[in-house]
Amino acid sequence: MAIPEPPPARPSPAAVPAVAGVPAFAGIPAVAGMPVRPARRLGGWLGLLPMAVLLTAAFAVPVVSLLRLGFGDGGLSFEHFRRIAEVPLYRSILATTLTISALTTLLCVVLSYPVAYLMATVGPRLRAVLVVVVLLPFWTSSLVRTTAWIVILQGNGILNKLLMGVGLTSEPVAFVYNLSGVLIGMTHVLMPFVVLPLYAALRALDLSTVQAAEGLGAGPATVFVRVVLPLTAPGAVAGATIVFMNAIGFYITPALMGGPAQTMISQVIADNVNRELNWGFAAALSTMLLGATLVIFMLFQRAFGLERLFSGAGTARSGEPFRLTSRGRSAGGVLTVVFGLLVAVFLIAPILVVFPMSLGSSPFLSFPPYDYSLRWYVNFFETSKWFNALIRSLQVAGLTVAGAVVLGTAAAIGLGRIPARWRTAIETLFVLPMIVPVIILAVGLYYLFAPTGLVGTIWGLAIGHTVLAAPYVFVTVRASLKSFDPSLELAALGLGASWATMARRILVPTILPGILAGAVFAFITSFDDVVLALFLTNIRTRTLPKLMYEGVAHEIDPTIIAAAGLIILVTILLMLVNLLVTRRRA
Amino acid sequence: MKRRTLLTAAVAAWMLLPAAAASAEEMVFASWGGAYQEAIRKAWLEPFAKASGVKFEEDTGPETAKIKAMVETKSVTWDIVTAGGGGLMRGVAQGLFEPITAEMVNQSDVLDGAKNAYGVPSEIFSTLIGFSTKAFPAGGAQPKTFADFFDVAKFPGKRTLPDKPETVLEAALLADGVPAGDVYKTLSTDAGMKRALDKIAALKPNVAVWWSSGAQPVQALGAGDVVMALGWNGRFQAGMDSNLPIAMSWDQQIPQVGYFMIPKGAPNKAAAVKFLNFILKPEINAELSRHVAYGPATKGAWSHIDAKRAERLPSTAERLKNALFLDIEWWAKNGAKATEAYTAMIKG
Repeated sequence: MAIPEPPPARPSPAAVPAVAGVPAFAGIPAVAGMPVRPARRLGGWLGLLPMAVLLTAAFAVPVVSLLRLGFGDGGLSFEHFRRIAEVPLYRSILATTLTISALTTLLCVVLSYPVAYLMATVGPRLRAVLVVVVLLPFWTSSLVRTTAWIVILQGNGILNKLLMGVGLTSEPVAFVYNLSGVLIGMTHVLMPFVVLPLYAALRALDLSTVQAAEGLGAGPATVFVRVVLPLTAPGAVAGATIVFMNAIGFYITPALMGGPAQTMISQVIADNVNRELNWGFAAALSTMLLGATLVIFMLFQRAFGLERLFSGAGTARSGEPFRLTSRGRSAGGVLTVVFGLLVAVFLIAPILVVFPMSLGSSPFLSFPPYDYSLRWYVNFFETSKWFNALIRSLQVAGLTVAGAVVLGTAAAIGLGRIPARWRTAIETLFVLPMIVPVIILAVGLYYLFAPTGLVGTIWGLAIGHTVLAAPYVFVTVRASLKSFDPSLELAALGLGASWATMARRILVPTILPGILAGAVFAFITSFDDVVLALFLTNIRTRTLPKLMYEGVAHEIDPTIIAAAGLIILVTILLMLVNLLVTRRRA
Repeated sequence: MKRRTLLTAAVAAWMLLPAAAASAEEMVFASWGGAYQEAIRKAWLEPFAKASGVKFEEDTGPETAKIKAMVETKSVTWDIVTAGGGGLMRGVAQGLFEPITAEMVNQSDVLDGAKNAYGVPSEIFSTLIGFSTKAFPAGGAQPKTFADFFDVAKFPGKRTLPDKPETVLEAALLADGVPAGDVYKTLSTDAGMKRALDKIAALKPNVAVWWSSGAQPVQALGAGDVVMALGWNGRFQAGMDSNLPIAMSWDQQIPQVGYFMIPKGAPNKAAAVKFLNFILKPEINAELSRHVAYGPATKGAWSHIDAKRAERLPSTAERLKNALFLDIEWWAKNGAKATEAYTAMIKG
């Protein structure tokens, strides 16, 4: 698992180095001014088609058929909406949801900069370690993560013991079951969505722009504010968009790590779907959430010019990739490194307690355990269900990654080739699966799949996961396309290269970081999903997260911690092998 | 290059491996997995297969929403599903379950509070007070009643309560002196509901955790984050069995019943009916409590349970004297409103 280096520098006929403060979308004036040729436009629509078909059939149809229930069975009624308007609880829950999501997004962006900076300015081996640190939390189920966090943060938890031992506090601080608990849990798991695009943006930053600014007398702060920040903003905005949309749909983390004041709307929606069986009301709440999110998304697009940022912010890179300049680190840089390391510790903290916890013998998790045993590991290997579920999870995730990468990449490339007036609308439509509560999609897909026999197969689940995952690839590839210079494409085609050759040798290498980041997100989306699996699989096709959640209303089977421990162990071993191999080669 | 193609093909082939094919002629039992389903398997499913020759298969995750989806799309694959009283009643309201008549299953031995026209009771579990024996050691004053739970002066320290109103509203009124027989009558009035909510609101500053999963109160008690919890006897028992410093009080409790139902359109209804009759046989019915700390919902089963095991179970005749059964019909009617009011109170 390593994030590839950006493609090698190549000469660019239209390289206009971005200048501090000047938004860099002036990158490719020659091409931007040209009318889109009809053939190119047709290709664009063709690229959009597969994802559009999937989203229509496996997203719009099932979701709309369920959301319709919000307007009454049969006739048109606004009864449910009236209830939402009349009971103040629902407004306050919506406000809470948006506030928590906004705070999480802010925290993710702020905390991601030091980590991304650290990753961009250290040697390749340390960088590989950092990538693993950023991504490891995902490899464990959300149930394991939250459990580990609670062990760390609870009243008599590790952190409080530490703080009181050092003498910083005399009373236990309430870190969990309140707002801080929710923010910690959500920021932790959503941060990679910002770190990766930000890191890619930093690496794509032309070092000569930094050197030029320094040569003109800019201090480190000025360089950051006027060069680094504007040039990395597209990556940060892409990541922040994903985080915000994602955060709105969260309900497991707030339910377990927050208090009642942090009740989020997806909890209420899931409750109405699953417990109250009041699908009409759940549909009305989802419709309201969808409306509110769309308004915010559009305001965001207007304020930050998402489309502008996505489509033309970068210049074709001509110089060296961003790294430390000869000046070395400034005081601020050193501080950033320290902060980046602290954030890395924050990211890895739950993983560090998972191992010792998995070695405890008591079914009640504690840290440190009262006594040690391999009981849960034995359990994992002795009962075939765990291993089978892991294999199913990997199969479904494999199918999902393949589907999402192909559809998302094609759509992202296609979007740049159609007339600009269509782009905002299509872009908005294509990220909708991120906003709609997953349980709505899950129930809708069950109705869609039941007559076809897809329920209970890994195919049905993989289709559902692809719906969720393709938008990630779409967004990340779209962000990386900004550094692709279309004139290169024209040059290649003009020199007689076929479109396939051009794509293979020029287009794909440029956007590879975006594709890979999207693939990682797609994998994670599938590997961590519980809700779709709950509805679309049975005992033969259940995935690891579904198995982990079984019986969770009553107990937490510590075997899930062992399962997480094993996954982490395998990841770390792979990383070590990778490091050894690269060292030998070097 | 060739090797890579081969590898790709192998991976692709592996991805396409079909799941094992289903065998015919069986009964499918769907429940919540984990230790609970394991107990049912050992106590009832395996003996049933041996006695009747009916092969059983298991599935997990019988969410009411999924049952509804199955019934409405006529793709029911489950013959027996399990749920608490709330799930049962909400399913009944939507017509998801087959009625279970006296001709199908003889339920004459079932406790009155547990009888239902659409389900066969599988077990009784209770909501009661669990407390930390570190905070309230044996020998000193220990909390016994719901009044003690709400009395912060007498028993100081943090509490944990469910984040849903079921059992909490009842406990609050009982603590406030409402006789058990009048609790639901009182709750049905606006003033009574307010009385219950006010009682809970007064305790709010001392509530550290509003739990959403049954494992949480035990975790919080064990870690010392709270000194008292309103939770399920089976979970407290599991904590005590793992030597956590926990005890529970049987002086006052709100029992709930778990049910087995047949979804409408179940493919093997006849086998399911056979199974339901099988688990009501007294000696068989008693078996489940061997594996989990849930009590039988029949009278006959008790003659097959020794005193030592009965000590762990909520439904002994003695303990049911201080019990107020959760009224699932009341909750079916008033649940949505009560949940709204409760959520608003704990959030506000």
